Amino acid sequence: MRIGVYICHCGLNIAHVINVHSLLEKISKLKDVVLVKDLQFMCSDSGQDSIAEDIRTHDLDHILVAACSPKLHEPTFRRVLQKAGLNKYMLEMVNIREQCSWVHMEEPQLATQKAFDLIRMGLARLKLLDPLQIKKVSANKEVLIIGGGVAGIEAALTLADSGYHVHMVEKEPTIGGKMALLNEVFPTNDCSICVLAPKMTDVQQHPSIDLLTMAEVSEVRGFAGNFQVTIVKKPRYVIEDKCKGCVDECARVCPVEIPNRFDLGMGRTKAINMPIPQAVPQVTYIDNDYCVGCGLCLQACPADAIDYNMKEETISIKVGAIVLASGYKPFDAARKEEYGYGVYSDVITNMELERLLNASGPTRGKVLVPSTGQIPKKVAFIQCVGSRDETVGNPYCSRVCCMSAMKNAQLLKERYHDIEITIHYIDIRAAGEMYEEYYIRSQSMGIDFIRGKVAEVQQDLNSKLFLRFEDTLSSEIREENYDLVVLSTGMEAPDDADKISRVLNLSRRTDRFFATAHPKMRPVDSHVKGIYVAGCASGPKEIQAAIAQGIAASAKAMQLLSRGELETDPQSAHVEEEKCIGCKICEDVCQFGKIKVNNGKAIVDEISCYGCGACSASCPTDAILMYNSTDEQILAQVRAATEVKSEFPLIVAFLCNWCSYTCADLAGVSRIQYPTNIRVIRVMCAGRVDPGFVLEAFKGGADGVLIAGCRLGECHYIFANYNAKKRMEILQGVLEDIGIDPHRLKMEWISAAEGERFARSIESFVDELREIGPIGSELLEGHNDG
Amino acid sequence: MDDWEQFISNRKYYITEKMIMKENNVQEQLKEAGIDILKCMQCGMCSGSCPSGRHTSLNVRRLIRHAIRSQDVLEDEELWMCTTCYNCQERCPRCIDIVDAILKIRSIAAHKGIILPEHKQVIKLLLEYGHAVPIDEANMKKREELGLERFPETVHKDIEALNEVKKLLNVCKLADIIDQ
Repeated sequence: MRIGVYICHCGLNIAHVINVHSLLEKISKLKDVVLVKDLQFMCSDSGQDSIAEDIRTHDLDHILVAACSPKLHEPTFRRVLQKAGLNKYMLEMVNIREQCSWVHMEEPQLATQKAFDLIRMGLARLKLLDPLQIKKVSANKEVLIIGGGVAGIEAALTLADSGYHVHMVEKEPTIGGKMALLNEVFPTNDCSICVLAPKMTDVQQHPSIDLLTMAEVSEVRGFAGNFQVTIVKKPRYVIEDKCKGCVDECARVCPVEIPNRFDLGMGRTKAINMPIPQAVPQVTYIDNDYCVGCGLCLQACPADAIDYNMKEETISIKVGAIVLASGYKPFDAARKEEYGYGVYSDVITNMELERLLNASGPTRGKVLVPSTGQIPKKVAFIQCVGSRDETVGNPYCSRVCCMSAMKNAQLLKERYHDIEITIHYIDIRAAGEMYEEYYIRSQSMGIDFIRGKVAEVQQDLNSKLFLRFEDTLSSEIREENYDLVVLSTGMEAPDDADKISRVLNLSRRTDRFFATAHPKMRPVDSHVKGIYVAGCASGPKEIQAAIAQGIAASAKAMQLLSRGELETDPQSAHVEEEKCIGCKICEDVCQFGKIKVNNGKAIVDEISCYGCGACSASCPTDAILMYNSTDEQILAQVRAATEVKSEFPLIVAFLCNWCSYTCADLAGVSRIQYPTNIRVIRVMCAGRVDPGFVLEAFKGGADGVLIAGCRLGECHYIFANYNAKKRMEILQGVLEDIGIDPHRLKMEWISAAEGERFARSIESFVDELREIGPIGSELLEGHNDG
Repeated sequence: MDDWEQFISNRKYYITEKMIMKENNVQEQLKEAGIDILKCMQCGMCSGSCPSGRHTSLNVRRLIRHAIRSQDVLEDEELWMCTTCYNCQERCPRCIDIVDAILKIRSIAAHKGIILPEHKQVIKLLLEYGHAVPIDEANMKKREELGLERFPETVHKDIEALNEVKKLLNVCKLADIIDQ
């Protein structure tokens, strides 16, 4: 083994505090170190060149760079190794700037000692590094889209136009989703179907899109790049290729009249029908719940398209990525009993009003009061029905109802000039381009706004509806008669969200919508690699946001699949089969479902494994190997840290890569000073820390061990720091049992922004350990007592 | 008194003062009782639903806002206009325990002696007869006409039991409220 060690001065940033010359001298005496060099700026071109040249001339096979944080220049030096013909993973970086010279400016001697210790620890790990290879697997460039609403349509067209083959699965007999039922859309008051229908047609005619309607996904296996999908297609009883969409012939003779669910039950249709005039595909279907099988349509159909013997079909496809655009369902207004929906016929929902306003709706576009059949003179909109309401379990705002109520109010005003309209609201939410202007326009048109949630809808002795409410801006408690009351119902996760989450292994938020990987930074990524969420599946949103997400999700799918192959992260977990006893503990620990026990042996899905290492730490037989963070590597660092007890108290600190290590770097960048006593070992996650590592540290003579991870609930790996917490709390109990003060093991949950808190927690831990005394002192006391 | 004793005595004084302050603080007390009125969004569901508010000046929404913002709520006479029908609490979209909050605030007010003369009268009767509404001559007469005993089977009849009730009320320091 021929190791080259490089120490960077970083101008004076490091050299001002740390005595580089004494370091050089000490390191040169260490085993296997062939070359030690110091340079002004290691990251400069000349610095990089000199490493590359040394690798060749001195035949170096392992490189250690003691400089700044690996977060900054690890990729730089890995490239240098690669260029010089060495495996890029044969590099160890030791952080002597952010976590040494910048935070111990008043303690040059102790800082130099700490730097030497850190380099020894680095060397111990370096010697055990493996030349890892990035594996490549081919990725299927087809994409499955679940849901044919506007978000799914946009994703499908974007992908198909970019050369990806798309399979769209829609559970209804037509695509178009809720948008196809709307009358006009804000803020432009465009006719909804006029802007959507061309896109619906494009989906059907696109050579790269396979459209499956009346179909649902029943099973998904595999992983990003290679999903195997099973789809169940329900019988339509009409042969799609033969039906000409004339509908009059078959529906005219059908004797079974049914409520039209696409008109929300307001209009009537037949058991064989076309869901909406603009349906895609332009094919009728037979509603199996109502059809009596009389055979009249079969006789009437001039195209021989009816087939009563059609069976459910199971279809298998392979795709590389999945876009979930399963949409929402409107809140069931009958659940708010005080508003009398379903009791008073003149209380309707916003969606029903959309159908009444719609030229192809049950009244051909005339808004009529259900009980009288007359055009209403006075209309009330009640906002936040089923939104912002914890009594029905929906604390969230549904985002679109304010705008859609104003839109429908404007349309009513435009059609019936004398109509009086009042919108009863809590807060008007008109945040979006051209939305506030839309609000102003509504006010200018004479639409009345009353602030106050309506308490109840009642009928007076003349059978006239009245609303009871407080006008909160004038503190008046009032009653007011209306002809028609429109409930602005909010959005809820659809009933089948539960099934979908099981099939796709996706998690949901407490509001029951699908969770995204990060609510702010990763708006369309799900927790599962290769599955993206768009539109209302991840929460209420208006059409423009749903379209934007459809585009975003398709871009993410393309980003994943564009090269036709995926690289495996060498950080992934790997099971050593001969050691595995099939106990399934790892299965429970990995909440991503990336490790599964099959035939008594665990197998890791190495392509989509995130590499947190929580499974490895939980394995009772140490059968799970983390390729770039093996138990041996970490234990070697622990042993090197405790080999020479250069300070009291000596603390071995395991810092998670994402939050605590970053926040220690931040403390450095901010020059926040703290005691020199800690020796840091970087792990991918606090969940990676095996109790064995902690015990090894104490055995070696460490006075304290610190485990720091992301704040609870903010773990980079979602759940893994909870694993760490649970594990370490048990370990504290064990320590107490064997007579070691459990306070020697400390846990901190720190965000990447809390540099000051990190420094103060080190300070207080050092003080605490000073009080407890050197490791083992409690055992002596116990002995004396006995 | 040496320095140490002085310190301890100051400390005790400080702590009791703090406790008294806390006991009298509406917001602290509500928090302690697990009632979060701070999350109120002032939507008016409560006031719109309030049957009392249709006939009195009570506006529950305003009362809650008052309680969030000021100790003066203890002096708010609307505090006593609630019939505790729980309509508002049932319907509150933020699931705030509105009536429970009103009862708690009333209790704090009562302990500070901020109650109406009618309430004082009721307490007096309770202290004297063990009944908020003691039996009167007319009712006794009616009972006799119905063939019942003059007194019902309550503390009216049982002096020993009445004394026990008085003892309990005494322990609760009920008399202090009207003396204030």
